[in-house]
Amino acid sequence: MSVIAPNFRLSGFIRSILDNVFWIIVLVTLAGIPAIQIVLFYIEMPVIDGELLTPFLALTWLADPSRVLPIVKALMATDLFRIAVFPGFGLAALLAAGTIFVERKMLAKLQLRVGPFYCGKFEGILQLAGDGLKLISKEIIIPAKADKPIFWLAPVAFVGTAAAFVSLIPVAPGGWVVADVELGILAVFAVIGFFPIITILSAWSANSKFPFIGGIRALHQMISFEIPLILSLLGVVMLAGTLNLTGIVESQDSFPWIVFLPVGAVVFFICILAELERIPFDLPEAESEIVAGWLTEFSGMMYGLVQLGTYLKLYAFAAIFTVMFLAGWHGPMIVPPFPAEIITDGIQLGPVTATIPGLPLFDQEMLNGTIWFIIKTVAVIFFILLPRGVFPRIRIDMLLSLGWYKLIGLSFINIFIALGLLYAGVLGPGGMI
Amino acid sequence: MADGIFLALAVLTIGSAIAALEMRSLIYGSIALMGSLGGVAGFFFLLDAPFVALFQLAVYVGSIAVLILFTVMLVRRELIFRKVEDKRRRMAGIGLLLVFMVAVGAVVVSSGIHDMSTDSPPVDYRDIGADFLIYYWPALVVMALILSGAVTGALVLARREDGPD
Repeated sequence: MSVIAPNFRLSGFIRSILDNVFWIIVLVTLAGIPAIQIVLFYIEMPVIDGELLTPFLALTWLADPSRVLPIVKALMATDLFRIAVFPGFGLAALLAAGTIFVERKMLAKLQLRVGPFYCGKFEGILQLAGDGLKLISKEIIIPAKADKPIFWLAPVAFVGTAAAFVSLIPVAPGGWVVADVELGILAVFAVIGFFPIITILSAWSANSKFPFIGGIRALHQMISFEIPLILSLLGVVMLAGTLNLTGIVESQDSFPWIVFLPVGAVVFFICILAELERIPFDLPEAESEIVAGWLTEFSGMMYGLVQLGTYLKLYAFAAIFTVMFLAGWHGPMIVPPFPAEIITDGIQLGPVTATIPGLPLFDQEMLNGTIWFIIKTVAVIFFILLPRGVFPRIRIDMLLSLGWYKLIGLSFINIFIALGLLYAGVLGPGGMI
Repeated sequence: MADGIFLALAVLTIGSAIAALEMRSLIYGSIALMGSLGGVAGFFFLLDAPFVALFQLAVYVGSIAVLILFTVMLVRRELIFRKVEDKRRRMAGIGLLLVFMVAVGAVVVSSGIHDMSTDSPPVDYRDIGADFLIYYWPALVVMALILSGAVTGALVLARREDGPD
């Protein structure tokens, strides 16, 4: 087994950590806290409950356990929390990271290999962290004749567009969505339209033949599959009677639309595979023909950013499938109600009774909705990953003929099914069910 | 607030339109064109027409700009263009543009547009849809026929000539 640091000693490592802790404590007490106090002295503090909020009082409140939960709750109501942590980027990045690991491990098991094994004690569970460290510490190489501004900008724009896509997805009831756009599904189409531009620009800017071939393939593929993708969602929009994603989820409280529109669901799923460039439609990064397609010249953290964007996009498409066809957060109530006596009486531990203000942190509906949403999304992600272990890559003429010739026809059939159900008065606004 | 956004959008739109014409690199020119079209989408957002704005983004920035970009990438510029620019042509162009802008501005200022203000709410896209289905249905049918003709044409073009063997 190779050793990264031959002279590594655990005692030396612990001593260095203790050293750092000692110096941090010394510096904070001697410089940090006085500096904070001096700064706070010049800031005009508000009066709360008839009491001037002095720095001392503020620190007391921050350290007061009975005030922690209300502060956390107030934090959770902010936009920043929504964008960065819960329905937004944090959840998506967590699911994306889990997807990468599960994909590698599951593919290996499907093909009777082992997969990541050595990183971490158990089944290579730290492989992802190791890969991340490698990507961060790796040198970024830019081709000599590349168009540098576009080449630098493309990975950032890719992640940004993927994050904008993620922000449109409603996760749980009660407004747990970053951007509740009234025309949500149109905003989704507008955001999806940016991916081909970024792909072809980054492919062109690398000034190398493999990325350019891959970029042109990606452009063909994404543009031609956008049309059946949009058409296959129109049936759901007709039956739900709204373009808002939250409204579409709320319209499925008794049954998901996949029951009535299975054709649309299948078409949309195939279009997802093509838009995500996953096997069997991974022509843009066909590693046996054109090295790595439009990703060939990316190295280091630029490649890492593109990968992050790709997996964020995967999560977002799976979540859109869940929202449109699988009833989003709806599901049987599996979360037990929060015990009421904890709120009224407090927790009794022998002679001590602890009343905790601010409970419950999440309401029951929201927890239940989140759990169902994540279960369904993970199931969809699993089905997106599965073809990679099973199918070979198809030719580009087969791909284009599939997109233009078969999927568009099927999505029109889906629209006519939806129209039939609507005009027969079975479903839709004012329908029987 | 809205004035500031309007000014920023105006600078973005006109600036990238000028850049789209003046850039030496055609790729950067088409990126600037994208910025200009996106700025127009921003104007639609300001005018309380998010429906039009999102379609502007999806169709113009997402599809037409891609088409232009793709065409430009496959064309070698130096083979088809000869530089005919000189100082006199440039001055003449700027002068023509100024005369045109002043004329348009004079028309706008002398009309009643510049002090028009309204408190009526923006038109809902649902009303437009209802009008289309009830009052303007022949136009809708004609549009539907044209669009389905276009899709059918696309399907015919996509059909393989050799057929399945």
